[in-house]
This record gives sequence, C-alpha cells and structure tokens, in this order.
Amino acid sequence: MKVLIIEDEKTLAYELEKFLRKAFFLCDLAHSFKQGAEKLELNQYDYILIDLGLPDGNGFDLLKKAKKSNPDAAYIILTARGKLEDRVAGLDMGADDYLAKPFFLPELQSRMQAIARRKFKVSEELLPLGLFNIDLQKRFVFFENEQIELSRKEFDLLSYLLLHKNRVLTRIQLSEHIWGNFADDDYDSNYIDAHIKNIRKKLNIYAPTEWLETVRGVGYRIRK
Amino acid sequence: MKLSTKLTLFISGSKLAIVGLFILLLPFLIRQIASNYTNFSLRSQQKKVIRNINSKGINYYLEGEDNYGSYTMLKDEYIALEIAAPDYKIDIIRDTKRIVEQDTIAYRVLSFTFHQNNKNYLLEIGKTNASINLYNAALQRFALYVLIILIALSIIIDLIFTRQLIKPLGQIIKLRLANTRFPFKKNRKNIQTTTQDFKYLDRSLISLMDQINEAFEKEREFTANASHEFMTPISILQNKMENLLTEELEPETIQEHIVDMMKTLERLKKISRALLLISRIENEQFSKQDQVEPKNLLNELVEEISHRLEEKNIHIEIDLKHNKIITCTNHDLLFQLFYNLVNNAIKFNRENGQILISDQVEKDSYSIQVSDNGQGIEPTEIPYIFDRFKKTGQAENTGYGLGLAIVKSIANYLNLHIKIDSAPGEGTRFKINF
Repeated sequence: MKVLIIEDEKTLAYELEKFLRKAFFLCDLAHSFKQGAEKLELNQYDYILIDLGLPDGNGFDLLKKAKKSNPDAAYIILTARGKLEDRVAGLDMGADDYLAKPFFLPELQSRMQAIARRKFKVSEELLPLGLFNIDLQKRFVFFENEQIELSRKEFDLLSYLLLHKNRVLTRIQLSEHIWGNFADDDYDSNYIDAHIKNIRKKLNIYAPTEWLETVRGVGYRIRK
Repeated sequence: MKLSTKLTLFISGSKLAIVGLFILLLPFLIRQIASNYTNFSLRSQQKKVIRNINSKGINYYLEGEDNYGSYTMLKDEYIALEIAAPDYKIDIIRDTKRIVEQDTIAYRVLSFTFHQNNKNYLLEIGKTNASINLYNAALQRFALYVLIILIALSIIIDLIFTRQLIKPLGQIIKLRLANTRFPFKKNRKNIQTTTQDFKYLDRSLISLMDQINEAFEKEREFTANASHEFMTPISILQNKMENLLTEELEPETIQEHIVDMMKTLERLKKISRALLLISRIENEQFSKQDQVEPKNLLNELVEEISHRLEEKNIHIEIDLKHNKIITCTNHDLLFQLFYNLVNNAIKFNRENGQILISDQVEKDSYSIQVSDNGQGIEPTEIPYIFDRFKKTGQAENTGYGLGLAIVKSIANYLNLHIKIDSAPGEGTRFKINF
C-alpha cells in the first residue's frame, strides 16, 4: 500500500512516515502544495493524507486536483483547524475521513483500515484471536460456535487492540479512541482497566486470554 | 429613587416651602405696604396743600381765621392748619391719638411746620389706622389665590419641562445599560438630545462599550489563535512520543517516563481543545437548527458516561415528565453542556451518590435540573465557578477547570439561563431554563 503524506510540518511528516512504515506502508512525503501536486501527477497512491494548511496553497484545491489524477485513492484530511465546516466541506469534496490534529497514530491507522474495508472491500472473514474468532463487521466474538456478549465499549476496545496487535497502546490512546473528545480529564482514572478486566472475565470462562497483556506502567497489548 | 421622582419631589417641595414662608410673611408684608402707601399719600397731600398755599395764599384755607380744620364724614381723614409757636419746628409722620368730637381715634398723622407771611404754621394731615388696614385682609386673600395659582402653574410647567429634559437620560439607561447583554450589540444610533451633558454621557458610554467589545474581541481572537497554534507542536510531540514508545526501549522505566510525558501532553491538548471549543462557540461557529428531544439526549449521555458512574457506583435517575422538543438548538453543544454538568456531578460526588435529572414547566418556560447529593459548593465560590481556570479550593481533583466555562459559553450562545443552588455537604443543583 502506497501512502502520500502531504504535510508542511516536516517533523510531523517524518513521524507519520516512521509510524506507517512500521505498519508496512510505503510512504512518500510532500511538504508543499507544489510538491504534492507534482507527486500526484507522477504516481498512483492508495492513501493520500492531506494537511489543509499548506503554505503555498489551499489543501481543498489540492484535494480537488488529486481526485482527478488519483481517483481511486483513499483521502484523509489532516488539519489543525478542526472546524466543523472544514470537515463537512472535506467530506463533500470526496475525502474519506477527516482527522483533527493532534491525533494518535494508531487512530490514523485504524481509520485507514476502516476505509480499506469499506472502499477496497478488504474483508477479513473471521479474525482469529487465541481460541476465539472475531467478526469486525458484525461486531461479534465467537468461541467455537458460541457467541460471547461484550458491551459496545468492550468490543471497541478489543477490536482496537487487535487492529494494532503486537503494539502497546497506552490508556490515553485507548480512551481517546473510545470516548473521543469526551475522554475525561482525570488521567489516573482506571476505567480502561475496568473494561479490560471485564473483557478478561467474560472471555476467561471459555478459554485463556494470555494474549491480552498488561504492560506495566504503559498500557495494553495483544500479542499474536 | 428615580431621578425624575427626585426632581418632582424637590421642585414641589421647594416651591411649597417658599409659598409657605411667603404666606407666613404675607400679613406683615401687606401691612408694610399699606403703611408705606399711607405715608406716601400723606406726603402727596402735604405737597398739594403747600402748593395751594404758595399759589393761592394761606387764606385759601384760613379764610381770615387763625386755624382751619376739616374732616371727612366718617372721620377717616382730617386736615388741620394752625399757627404754631415761632420756633416750633417739626416734620414727621407718626401714629398718635386725636380726640375728635369726643371720640379718641388712632391716627397716622403727618405733622409739618412751615413759615408763611412771617408766621409759623403747623399743618397736620391724619388718616385713621383703621382705614389704613382696611384692605389688608382682602388683599391678603387675593394675593394668596394668585400665588397658589401661579405656583401650581409653575410646578406643572417645571414637571413637564424636567420630564422632557431628562428623557434622554432614560433612553440612555434603557438603550445602553439596562438589559444589555455582553457582547454588546452594535447599536450606534446616538440619542437625540440637545443637552450637552447627555450627549457626552451617551458618547462616552458608546466608546466605553466599543472598548470593551474590542478588548473582548482581542481576547477571543487570541484564545482562538493561541489554542489553534498549539495544536501542531502538540501533534509533533505526541506523535514522536508514540513512535518512541513502539521502539521497545530498555530499560522499561524509559517507557514509563514517556507515558508520563504523554499524560502531561494530553493535559495540554485538552486545555487547548477546550479553549478552542470556547472560542468557536463565542465566534458563533455552530448552527442552531437542530431539534433535540431531551430524553434521547440524556439517555445517550448516560450511556456515554456510564463508565464514570460505575467507577463511583453512582445511581443516576432521569425523570423527565414532559415530552418536550427543544428547537433551534445545537445537538452537540447541548450534549456537551449536559455532559459537563453530569460529569461534574460525578466528579464532586461521593461513593454510592445520587444524581437526579428532572424537568419542569413553569409559566411557559421549560427547564431541566441536574442535581446531585455530592460535596456542594461554598457560597463564596459560587460567583466564580463559571470562570476559566478557576479551581475551587475544596476539591483536589478538579481537572483543568474549563468544564463549567464551556457550559457557560454554550448557555450564552444558545440563550439558556443557568441557575445554581448549592449547599456544602448536601449537594448542588443546576437548573437550565430553555
């Protein structure tokens, strides 16, 4: 999968690249409207991440342009503006998603994967997880043929960890994914731990959950 | 007391006081006038007599005799002319008594000596005191009536005039001061008045309001810009830390430090986001076209916040009796408002506490109340709870103190009225009036 990152803030672009490379994406960087337009003319990409606030042009114009040369790509708008109108305008112009800075990197990846499922019809059937199987579309957890009841938040948590398997996710990253902007301002709150405890309790009835690891002082990880 | 009332009272009072004084003085004044007039008339009669003597000779009166006297019929006035001792000299007016045909009568008498034909004559012209004061009572009454009418007229004129005069002041108060909500709307029409002071007052108020608006505008702009500008550096730091975290650094304590740093950064992010939200609300960047059913909104909210409720084992009850639909509002902002209130009700609650959300209809106004039986707020703290970054002294776990500031700006934007009742140790109730 090829990704073009159009972001004028170079440090930020490098961090995005570093992260996405680890997730096995091929990354190309553009730091201005001009560079972005050139690269879009020359290459075809699967994902295009566009920062709206470019120094030499409007991100929306670039989006319009890119849509012509790369009609099949998935577009994600990245912006520090976070205005509602921007979001609406971006989605109207054919962007697939919109992320307000600052966002967590796993969040970006999970959005990209969600688009892939939707757009490229990459449908994993059932994802195996230990002795369990998970259906991400229908949001079910199975043990053999038996369906296990998880609450909405518990399922969100589990599938997010699974999506980023083998990577430690911090409590902040997890809670922002699940509660979004309403994530609380009490940092030492233990509600993520409570949810993990519940997940373990519900699944342990059927089979061990040693794949769901607690990383002391950091967060949680699914190891596969 | 209103200025117009004060002026009315003062004008009427001062006039009545003057009239009162005048009425008290009136008998004395009238007597004085009558007495002066009598003296004047005696003098003019004296002149007339002397003129006659000079032109027609003394015999015009004496007719050859040694003295002359004449009375009016009721003895009101008399005139007497007689020879006096050669060196007797007098020229006065005095009150004295005269016996006239066996009656002793009090007269005002002018006595005057003059030489004529080498003889010294004494002229006396008298007027009874009774006749002097004859018209006093009638005059007094007449003066009183005229005075009362004049005073009444002048009070009426004064009142009409002062009312007219201070009318611009009332307009200034109504237009500029009473019922004006911040930020002040641009109402730049000057008050119509010819009074320099009111013009000045009006102009000063307008310029003062402009200054306040401008300062507020600057603050708003600054908040928006600052919180917005923070986002990119926060973004860079955050993503750098996330990448560092995936590098499995040794020893493990380094990872823990990174997580701590992320927590701090998260705090900065939340503050910036909250400020950005406030400035967006203040810049009216949200539509007001949603229709919201409070029941749905609150059920949604409870689901969203259930993890926090469970944490403290708090029981929440939603008791909405009226199936009201709120129109011309913004769903997300309303959600945020109630979220912050309920979140506070949890934060400042105790284990196993209670939260009740209920609604009321009073006099066409619909209100929703969020009440808890948590720690409550000190009365001295209540005026400040909506201020940004204000932390109440009693709570250790207050977060960054922007939750209620957001509530306030949402309420201002959506024209909601918030009332707060609280008793320390018993709980707090927020009442939102739609």
